[in-house]
Amino acid sequence: MSEKGEVDLTGAKQNTGVWLVKVPKYLSQQWAKASGRGEVGKLRIGKNQGKAEVEFTLNEDLTMIDSLGNKPSGVQAPRDHPFTMQTVGGQTLAVFTETQSERISLEGLVVQRAECRPAVSENYMKLKRLQIEELSKPVRLSQQLEKAVTTNYKPVANHSYNLEYDRKKKEEGKRARVDKQQVLDMLFSAFEKHQYYNIKDLVDITKQPVSYLKEILRDIGIYNVKGTHKNTWELKPEYRHYQGGEEEEKETDD
Amino acid sequence: MASLGGSSSSSTEYIVRVPKNTSKKYSIMAFNSGDKVNCSSWTQARMERDMSNRRMYGVEETEEGAAGSEFGKKQREEARRKKFGIVTREFKVEDQPWILKVNGKAGKRFKGTKKGGITENASYYIFTQCPDGAFEAFPVNGWYNFVPQAKHRTLTAEEAEEEWGRRNKVVNHFSIMLQRRLREQERGPDDDDEEGEKGGKKKKKKGGRGGDLRIHDLEDDLELSSDESDSSGGEDGDSKPKKKEGDVKGKGKKKKKKRGSDSEANEDSDDGDFEGLEVDYMSDESSSEEEVGEEKAKSNKEAVPKGIDEASESEEESEEEKQNEEEGKEEEEEEEGKKTPVQTKKKRDSSGESDTSEDSDIDGEAASALFMKRTPPKRGGGRGSGGSSRTGSRPGTPSIDSTSTSNTLRAAASKLEQGKRQVVGGSSESPAAKRLKMESSSTAVTTQSPAPSGKSTPQPPSGKSTPSSSDVQLTEEAVRRYLIRKPMTTKDLLKKFQTKRTGLSSEQTVNVLAQILKRLNPERKNVNDKMHFYLTE
Repeated sequence: MSEKGEVDLTGAKQNTGVWLVKVPKYLSQQWAKASGRGEVGKLRIGKNQGKAEVEFTLNEDLTMIDSLGNKPSGVQAPRDHPFTMQTVGGQTLAVFTETQSERISLEGLVVQRAECRPAVSENYMKLKRLQIEELSKPVRLSQQLEKAVTTNYKPVANHSYNLEYDRKKKEEGKRARVDKQQVLDMLFSAFEKHQYYNIKDLVDITKQPVSYLKEILRDIGIYNVKGTHKNTWELKPEYRHYQGGEEEEKETDD
Repeated sequence: MASLGGSSSSSTEYIVRVPKNTSKKYSIMAFNSGDKVNCSSWTQARMERDMSNRRMYGVEETEEGAAGSEFGKKQREEARRKKFGIVTREFKVEDQPWILKVNGKAGKRFKGTKKGGITENASYYIFTQCPDGAFEAFPVNGWYNFVPQAKHRTLTAEEAEEEWGRRNKVVNHFSIMLQRRLREQERGPDDDDEEGEKGGKKKKKKGGRGGDLRIHDLEDDLELSSDESDSSGGEDGDSKPKKKEGDVKGKGKKKKKKRGSDSEANEDSDDGDFEGLEVDYMSDESSSEEEVGEEKAKSNKEAVPKGIDEASESEEESEEEKQNEEEGKEEEEEEEGKKTPVQTKKKRDSSGESDTSEDSDIDGEAASALFMKRTPPKRGGGRGSGGSSRTGSRPGTPSIDSTSTSNTLRAAASKLEQGKRQVVGGSSESPAAKRLKMESSSTAVTTQSPAPSGKSTPQPPSGKSTPSSSDVQLTEEAVRRYLIRKPMTTKDLLKKFQTKRTGLSSEQTVNVLAQILKRLNPERKNVNDKMHFYLTE
């Protein structure tokens, strides 16, 4: 198990440098639509009079923006995105990855931070307008109905649920008393699992009529009136031995 | 110089790819640059999720298993919570913090907390360059801010507040953590641990001591002078831990530790705090002697007064110190009495300590006092029981050995005889056990100590002493007059002899009154459920 949690430090040792780039949402959405090998565009890095200039150009085929509802909006994503370069000064940023098998490995350190900005263009403005329109739609809408809704509650002679319930009851029949010994066996095995039981639960478990069950319980158990386990039955002390879960049952003497 | 055209610009183009199905999830591990983390210097690292926030379904509740469990408890608890609208947030593993351990057990530890909201408005991508020159962009799944975890002990908020208040006084900050450590050990006592701890600390302490300078007030000096002599040359608080080492663990440590904390707490007070304190005499030692002597002479073994003032406290203190000592009690008390005015002025540690223990005593005494008051005739029994209970409840404080004060005591006592205060003479009757602060008086001593021949202050003649010139005198005559006129309760009587007018302290009043009543032996009758005394002439 030493593998799990062990961080693979190869990236750190090699001092692999990566860039951390902040990308607008619409752009990442477009990138998600990329096909094939995942090519999304081109990055041009140039040195213009000593200053580095980085620009990203989106591929042509990825410029179609789908508005909400998946219909072509007629808006095109801008293609040119200059990068604004920033320093990594105040923080030391490292990149680590996690696989599904929970292996963690350090990929490298961030050497450059950048922000991808769209070049301001007509296209961009249209895009923004589209976004605003979508966002400004209220989430909840009041709608007027022409006709009143009459399909929900109809008077019924007897609900289907009730019918089922009655049928089930008849099928089960009244609870029959079985031998006392059998009931005791059932009770003991139940009390092995838990110490405190509600009378209703015991009736459920043993399927005995309540009065009969109570008789038997009065014999072997006590009824807790106060305390945390209110209104519960538990076995009498001489009948129980809860020590880390023993198995044997105590024999009752009838 | 303006350059013409696009000169000196060269650019290279790279293809950017966003790989589609990566099994790897990328996250950012952010360190504060102030921590000077150098990832390449790590030899090995382990990282796991911090699962401490997970509330297991059964963990907080009662144990599962046969004993003590109820049938269907889980469901019922769940239903209850739903009914009350308690919504417990789901425990998501991906949102839990990371624990990063670098370089094994002895290395650094970091805790990485997830930063929220990074994927809400914009996405972060990691651009890495591939061998073929193209860039690959991976979306960042989570951002974790990693902070180093302190391995050294830190103060809690309350402790920090305390120490902040003392920041101008404490120069040696090492002692702060040391005190805390030792305090903790006391709570969970384990001698071995302490030994080891102290042993380990020894070196540091020595070093600390060397360079240590503790600003101490007069308090500290006095306190140390009154300390046991086992402290070796320690003049500053640091000596306390050393003392603790040397001492017998139980008592000495406890006492000193308490002192330590007490002294530290006490330093909080400023100069002006003690101005309002009541002390009987400010400066004159002899007068304090006299006062103490007077009180001794006056008091008897009767009930303890309910009121408590400074003087009483100091006397009580002195009382306590010597309670087990039969011989030389007076001297001790006197000395203590001398000390206490000084001490009370400065609120000494020892006084503080004995005060706290005294409080319980005072209560006990007051209780026995009440008991006493109700049944003055039953002196013997009451006193006996009261006394014994009192003695039992007193903590064992070290008694101060002193033998030299007998003379002064006698001198004080003789002064008393001539004094205007009335001395209750019934002391001879008093049983052995009862001890009050006032008891320090010779009268008590006479009966209680077996043979304090030289010590016992000669009793001023029993019976009425010449009344002084003040208006109301607590004399037998006066009491008799009141009781003849009409039946009164002890409370009423006390009211008649108000402390301001008779010049006695409340305790003294009580004692004297009790003695008078004993002598008078008035009739008793019950009126309105209260015991009234009256005399028929």
